[in-house]
Amino acid sequence: MNAPDPPPPLLSVVGLDLAYRHGESWRRILHGVSFDILPGEVFGLVGESGSGKSTVAYQLLGYRHPNARIEGGAVQFRGRDLLHIERRELNDLRGDRIALVPQNPTTALSPAMRVSRQIAEVLRWHGAVLDSAAAQRRVQELLDEVGLPGSAARRYPHQLSGGQQQRVCIAMALACRPDLLVLDEPTTGLDVTTQDQIIRLLADLRSRLGMSMLYVTHDLGVLAEIADRVGVLYAGHLIETAPAATLFHRPGHPYTRGLIASRPQIDPARAVAGERLRGLLRRDQLPPGCPFAPRCDFAEPSCSVNSQRLERIEPRHWVACQRWRELPEPVAQPQQRSGVLRDDGSGPLLTLERVTLGYGGHRRHGLPPVVQDLTITVGRSEIVALVGESGSGKSTVARAISGLLAPLAGSIGFAGELLAGNLRRRNPRLRRLIQFIFQNPDASLNPRARVGEIVGRPLQLFFRPGRAELRRRTLQALDDVRLGPDYLARFPDQLSGGERQRVAIARALACEPELLLCDEVLSALDVSVQAEVLDLLGRLRRERGLAMLFITHDLAVVRALADRVGVLYRGQLMQLSSVAATFCAPFHPYTLSLLLAVPGARPPGAPALPPAAHAPGSYAGCAFAGRCPLQQGSLCETTPPPWREAGPDLAIRCHIPLPELAQLAAAPGAMIPTEAP
Amino acid sequence: MSDSPQPDLVAPPSRRRAFGQFWRSAPTSFKAGTIVLLIHVLVAATGPFWAPFGAGEMRTGVPLSGVSWLHPFGVDQLGRDVFSRVVHGGHIVILLSLSGTLLGLVIGAVVGLLSGYWGGWVDELLQRLLEAMISIPFLVLALLAVITAGPQLSGSPVMVALVVAFVYAPRIARMARAAALDIVTRDYVLVARLRGESAWSIMRRELLPNASGVLLVEFALRAGYAPVLIGSLGFLGFGMKPPTPEWGLMIADNRQLIFASPITVLGPGLMLATLVVGLNLFTEGLARILGRSTRPVAR
Repeated sequence: MNAPDPPPPLLSVVGLDLAYRHGESWRRILHGVSFDILPGEVFGLVGESGSGKSTVAYQLLGYRHPNARIEGGAVQFRGRDLLHIERRELNDLRGDRIALVPQNPTTALSPAMRVSRQIAEVLRWHGAVLDSAAAQRRVQELLDEVGLPGSAARRYPHQLSGGQQQRVCIAMALACRPDLLVLDEPTTGLDVTTQDQIIRLLADLRSRLGMSMLYVTHDLGVLAEIADRVGVLYAGHLIETAPAATLFHRPGHPYTRGLIASRPQIDPARAVAGERLRGLLRRDQLPPGCPFAPRCDFAEPSCSVNSQRLERIEPRHWVACQRWRELPEPVAQPQQRSGVLRDDGSGPLLTLERVTLGYGGHRRHGLPPVVQDLTITVGRSEIVALVGESGSGKSTVARAISGLLAPLAGSIGFAGELLAGNLRRRNPRLRRLIQFIFQNPDASLNPRARVGEIVGRPLQLFFRPGRAELRRRTLQALDDVRLGPDYLARFPDQLSGGERQRVAIARALACEPELLLCDEVLSALDVSVQAEVLDLLGRLRRERGLAMLFITHDLAVVRALADRVGVLYRGQLMQLSSVAATFCAPFHPYTLSLLLAVPGARPPGAPALPPAAHAPGSYAGCAFAGRCPLQQGSLCETTPPPWREAGPDLAIRCHIPLPELAQLAAAPGAMIPTEAP
Repeated sequence: MSDSPQPDLVAPPSRRRAFGQFWRSAPTSFKAGTIVLLIHVLVAATGPFWAPFGAGEMRTGVPLSGVSWLHPFGVDQLGRDVFSRVVHGGHIVILLSLSGTLLGLVIGAVVGLLSGYWGGWVDELLQRLLEAMISIPFLVLALLAVITAGPQLSGSPVMVALVVAFVYAPRIARMARAAALDIVTRDYVLVARLRGESAWSIMRRELLPNASGVLLVEFALRAGYAPVLIGSLGFLGFGMKPPTPEWGLMIADNRQLIFASPITVLGPGLMLATLVVGLNLFTEGLARILGRSTRPVAR
C-alpha cells in the first residue's frame, strides 16, 4: 500500500484482525494491521510488550494458536493466503520459503540433538539434500556462513554460548534459502557486544543473499542499525510506517515520538527531543478511537472517538493520527541529573578491599576466581555503576556484599564496620541497611502473597510495629514508589511489570536502607517502564540520599543515573571513572568496545569488533588479551597490566600508555579488528 | 504478551454467576466426582436419621435372604439389615479417611518442605529415611504400626487415623520436597533469606503457599485411597472392631457366605467403590483446574 514503485511486494498483510480467547469471550488483539514487505527489504516492527508484535510475526508463518481466532484479513505470499491454506501446504512453506529465528535460542534448540543433526533435519524435511554426505557438506557451509567454526557441528546446544546458539538458529533458518526471514526479538537476552555481532551478521547475510526480513523488536536502536522501513505497533494498531531514517528524524505519531525520546541516550548531545512516554498500555481501557489517546499529550476529546486511519504525510511515510498536522515541534527535555554528591568527610559507605570471589567448583577445577582483587568504594548517597558482559562477575559482587557468598580473600566494609562474609553472622541492623533489588520482579515477588504482605513483612521483622503503625508504614512505602492504597490487596500477577518492580523497590525502602544493590533492575522492563523506574531511583537518591551499587549492561542507563562507573571484564576491574570521564577519551579498549556495540551509537564507518573470545589463552596477563584489538604482542598475555591513575576521575588497567589510548578514542576507525584466537 | 488482568476494574460478578461460570468451565470428571461425593456426604451425614433399621439391630429379616425392597443389600447372618449398616457406617469411613490423610499431609508437608529448603546432609538423611519407609509395602507398614502400638490401642478410631497418616506422610513428604526444590531457587526466597527469616518462617510464608497446589492435589489423591486402606485394615482385622459398621469390616464378616448371599458383600463393596471412584474423579478434575489456574511465571 505504501509502495508506489513497481516491485510487487513479496508479502502483504492486509487488514489483519485477530482475537484471543479471554475467559468466555474473545478479545481483539490486532486491528486491521496492513503492511507490505518488498523483495530484499528489512521491515522492522516495533512496539511495547502486549502490542501484538509477536502475534503479527507468527501470522506470517500461518501459526494457528488454539486460543486465537482470525476475524478478518489475509496474509498474501506468492498469490496464496497463508491464513487459509491447507496445513500440508503450510508445512512445505515453513522453514523452506519463510523461516523463523526465535527469541530464545536456548529453548528453541533441542538439547538432546547435536547441532549438525538439527540443521540437517531442516534440509532433509524439505528435500533440499539428497544424501547425508551432502547434508553434512551443506551444514558446514551454513555454519561458515553464520560465522561458526566447523567444529560447532558436533556440539550440543548447551556447549555453545548464547550468541553461538542464536547463530545456529539463524543457520537453521537459512538452510533452505528462504525468501523471508521472520525474526522475533532475536537479540533480546544477549550481551550488547554479542547483539552487535548478530546484527552485523544479519546485515551481512541480507546484503549477500538478498533476503527479505521482518524484524520484530522492542528496541528502536536495533532497527536503526538494520531496518529499511519501520512499522510502529500500538495495542494491535499499526500507527506509523516510515523509512527508518525518516522515522528517527521526523517521527509523525506522538507515540513514536515518545518511544524515541524515552530511550536513555549515551550521548546527550544526540538525545532526541520530545516528550517521554507516560502511563502504560492497558488493553482493558482502550477507547474506541485512537488507542493511544489516554497516554497522549496532544489528544483532544474527539481522538478517543474517531478511529484513526493511516494517512500519507509524505512519500512512504504513513501516520494514523488525526492531529499530525497540528503537532507542535518536539521540545528538548533536559536530562534530569543531580550533581555528583561528594563525600561529606565521614568516609565511604561501602568499601571493597582487594576482594576475591569464587565458587567451590572453580577452585577445585583450578579455574581462576570469578572476581579478582576488586577494590571499589561507594560513598554515601553515591550511585556507582558496575558494567560488563554476562560472566564478568558483576552480579557475584552484589551477592558477596549482600552476604550470600563469603569472599575468598579481601574484606568488605560498611560504614566503618567490617561485614561478616556469611549472612548468618551479620546482625539484623546490617541486614536491614543493605537491600538487594533483583533483575526480574516476576521471580522476586512471592506470587501467592498480596502486595500488603510483601511490603509489610520486612517492617514486621525489623521494626515490630503495631497493626495501625504497620499499615501506615506499608502505605508510606507504597506511596514512596507512587502506588496507592488500592494496591495493598493485589497479587503480583495483577500488576504490570513496572508496578511489580516498584513493589520490589517499596519492599526494600520499607527497611529504611542506606545502600541499595540493584542487579539489572531495568533489563526485564519495557522502554517506557524503564524510564519510569529510572526516574524513581533518581528521585530516591535525591530525596533520601540513598547510595546504590547499580549493576547493569546498559551504558545508556549508566549515563542517566550513575556518578561513577566501574567496568568489569572477567572479574577484573578494567576502568573506574566518573560518569563524565567514562564517556570520553581516554578509554580502556574494552570500554570502547562496549560503547561501540550500543545499537545506534557507532559512528558510521567504524569497523567491526572481534567476536567475543570464549577462553583467553592464559590467565597470567590481561584478562582482555585475545579479544583486544590493540594487543601489545605477548606483553599483554604474560604480564598483568598496571592500574594507572589518570587523575581524580579516571583509572585504567592497561599496558598501553594513556596518551595512546586517548588518541585511539579520537579516531575509533583506527581500531583494527584482529582475529580471535 | 502480558495483558495484566485488572479484576478490580471490571464490575465484580455476583458470587452466584461466578460459581456458574466456574461450574460450566470445570472438567467433566470434576463435575461427576463432585456429584458422587455430595451424595456420599449427604448419605453419611443424614443416614442415621432415616435408615430403616439401627446399626446393630438384629432380627430385621430372614438372614441371607437376598435382595428385597425392604432390604436392598440383603440381611446378614445375624439378621442385621446390611443397607442400614452401610448407611450408618458412612461417616466413619469418610471421617477416618479425611482426618488420617490430613494428619499425613501436615506432617509430610512440614518435613518435605523443610528438607527441600535445608538441602545438604539433613536433606540426604531425611530422604534416605523416607525412601526406606516407602520401600516397605503399604499394608506391611500399617500392620507394623498397629502391632507396635499394642493390643489396647488396636481398634480405636484414633489408631486407624494415625496409621493412615503414618503410611501417607513419607509419600507426601517426597512430593513436598520436590516442590520445595523448585521454589527455593526463586528470588523471593533469597529475599527472605537476606532479611534473615528463620527456616520455619520461610517454609510457612514463601514455600507453603506456592506448594499448596501440588499439596492439595496430593491430599485429594491420597484421600481417595484412604478408604481402601482403612477397608483393608478392617478386612484383616486390624482396623475397627466389630460390630462397628465399617465397610471393610462388613465385607470381611460376610465373605465366607458370599456364595449363599453375594449381595451382603457386594453392597458395602459397591459403596466403597463409588466413594473411591468419586474421590478420584474429583481429584483428577481438581488437579486439572489447579494446573490450569497456576499462571506461568516468566523468567
